[in-house]
Amino acid sequence: MEQVLSLINSYLGLLFILLCLGLILSFIFSDRTREKLNLRSIQAFSHFRREVDLAVEAGKRLHISLGRGNINDLQGGAAFIGLTILDRCARAASNSDRPPVTTSGDGVVTILSQDTLQSTYRSLATEQRYDPTNARLTGLTPLAYAAGAMPAIHDEHVSANILAGHFGTEVALLTEAGERSRSLTVAGSDSIPAQAVLYATTDEALLGEELYAAGAYLGAGTAHTASLRMQDILRWVLVVAIVIGAILKLLGILS
Amino acid sequence: MKKILPITNAIIAIASGVLVLLGYFFPAVRGIQSILIGWAIILAAFALLLGIFNLVMVHWKKAGSEEPGSVYSIVLLISLILTMIIVSISGPTGSWSLWVFNTFQVPVEISLLAVLAVILVYAGARLLSRRPKWNTILFLVTVLVVLLGSVPLFFFGEITPLNVVRGWLAQVPAVAGARGLLLGVALGTVATGLRILIGVDRPYGG
Repeated sequence: MEQVLSLINSYLGLLFILLCLGLILSFIFSDRTREKLNLRSIQAFSHFRREVDLAVEAGKRLHISLGRGNINDLQGGAAFIGLTILDRCARAASNSDRPPVTTSGDGVVTILSQDTLQSTYRSLATEQRYDPTNARLTGLTPLAYAAGAMPAIHDEHVSANILAGHFGTEVALLTEAGERSRSLTVAGSDSIPAQAVLYATTDEALLGEELYAAGAYLGAGTAHTASLRMQDILRWVLVVAIVIGAILKLLGILS
Repeated sequence: MKKILPITNAIIAIASGVLVLLGYFFPAVRGIQSILIGWAIILAAFALLLGIFNLVMVHWKKAGSEEPGSVYSIVLLISLILTMIIVSISGPTGSWSLWVFNTFQVPVEISLLAVLAVILVYAGARLLSRRPKWNTILFLVTVLVVLLGSVPLFFFGEITPLNVVRGWLAQVPAVAGARGLLLGVALGTVATGLRILIGVDRPYGG
């Protein structure tokens, strides 16, 4: 029995990943025939969509900040969401006079953002709009990154900023720059200190898993809505497991 | 060729991702996993060089323009070149390199930290007028209690009840909230990773 338990314990992570994968794939196939999924309203995304439309009409620019996370570790997850948002923004602003500008604090993320912009323009048959200097590395330390990204918000006719990636408390410098240039700032991060700062410094903070729902809310495809449904189900499973664990501990059954 | 390259990129990315993931669970794949991670580290270092080249390109373009802030770009380019020369001659831990770091980088970053503190205080004060809701009041009261409970006050010294409340706030509701947020972040990260692993999201131009 102990051997079976130890075997399950060592492969628990793999089982969890397979469960997630199974749920995502089943939702992708079941949602194909479904017309539209009802998502709860998140004010930040509706404001941002409106601002993207206004930016295109007014000939202004969108700024997407991908943070300073390194994709070789866990912080990269949030930067990948930023890249999805970048793709959606580049598509939405494809008619605009000023293409979106991205800033990041990691070399790999900078290259990926250039690649995302290039492949988006290629898919829209507007590759001539691609300019590698619109995807920038602004600094390699947290404060250097923030200091390098601030001029992009101030000086480049930006009407809306979306900060999606790994940040620390230095994110306040970026939200303040957005406030001063009177542009909308929608921001989310995987870091808890950054989320606390964002709650205080911006009207449109994305807390917890809200950032990871960006693809589904910005219409990035069925896979994004499917993974959102997977997250909802597993969140409830975890909530139930935590409550049962707490009750068992309270009763003295669990040590 | 235009169609083959993205498919090849996707196959390489998915295969590498699957092998690295399996390496965490099956010892037989661990050798390939460590080779792939080693390659990723080398590529990341090369990407850093490309990123610096990108930084130079952006500021070279700005320095050549007649924009109001173009002088800052010139300063950046000169600083970058001088730092590269000094570090190349003196070495990364040489005395000249450390002098550059301690004389320029550290004071500038500390100044920015000081500005950050002022911005956070100002944002806290502005929050109530911007979002007059009960949760904003709760947030500000909590901040005040934690601040007052963390430092000895002028004339009063340490106030024990505030200390106790601060300890409880930091250890019970704050930890519970942070764990809730982290669970959401963890599920989101797993979902994002899986989308890339199955090739639905291809941020590598696939």
